[in-house]
Amino acid sequence: MTQANITIEDIPATAAGVTAKLVKFQGQLDESNVDEKAKIIYALLEQFPQNLYLLFDFEELEYMNSKSIGYLTDWYGKVSEGKGKIVISKTRSNILDILQVVGLTQLINCYATLDEAKFALLQPATLPS
Amino acid sequence: MDHTPAQPAQALENKPMKIQIMLPTNAYFISGIRDFTLGLIRNMTEFSEQWAFRFQSVVDELCNNAIEHGSAPGQEIKITFINNQHDSIEIIVEDTGTGKVKLSAAEMQRIVNERRNPKYIHIGIRGRGLSKIVAEWTDELEFKDLPTGGMQVRIKKFLKDPALQQEMSKYLESPTHLVLQ
Repeated sequence: MTQANITIEDIPATAAGVTAKLVKFQGQLDESNVDEKAKIIYALLEQFPQNLYLLFDFEELEYMNSKSIGYLTDWYGKVSEGKGKIVISKTRSNILDILQVVGLTQLINCYATLDEAKFALLQPATLPS
Repeated sequence: MDHTPAQPAQALENKPMKIQIMLPTNAYFISGIRDFTLGLIRNMTEFSEQWAFRFQSVVDELCNNAIEHGSAPGQEIKITFINNQHDSIEIIVEDTGTGKVKLSAAEMQRIVNERRNPKYIHIGIRGRGLSKIVAEWTDELEFKDLPTGGMQVRIKKFLKDPALQQEMSKYLESPTHLVLQ
């Protein structure tokens, strides 16, 4: 199986009722591992179905195939349904290229730094009132 | 003793470089094929670094389709790389036609054309590889039924293409903005 890791840590959020997580992706997501790795995110979505704010750190993500794009789109749909948000930070150029060609950057904003992504994720305008 | 005259150097230089790989239908080997593709494009062609990564995705998607849909476990798929020096790269993937889903070349073409339509809404996890990645990053995408019962998928990308003028540096400068052409 191709090597890939997904780790999750909390992001302090000031608004009540909001759960914010930093999700770090490492390695390569392909047909050999993506179904298994996707379960980690689905477990998170199940645990926090409402007001879940996710920052996907793609700095160490080297490759993602079309099925992982499909999962990303599905996560976006579920998080949005629950009044949450997803942003992506620090993508490598080849990953950004893939996200752009499939049109995902029209759904999910990508930021060059973690700080910019955190600000965009948790700015008051995007939080539930 | 072989007395076949050697080909002149010029003829050899202009001859397309062809590499064929037989790959067992095991997704675990695909990462190696991706690495090989990246190295091949970087070192043996005039395509840019950006295109080396793009072909990595193209090959991955083509191979996954051939393995998952086109061939039964224990079979092999064939991948052929043809570098037409100073002109183009062709990549051909062939399956054995022993997979779970049996679609004809015409049906595959229809599906890809349908999904390439900007109005088509992708639902579900799968189905983006050929239409969104392979079709966008190639100049020719052709499906062909093989006499053996399998299918051949051939892509071609020309070196001299206006789209190649877009450099990676544009993405690095401003990764939060779409570059509209």
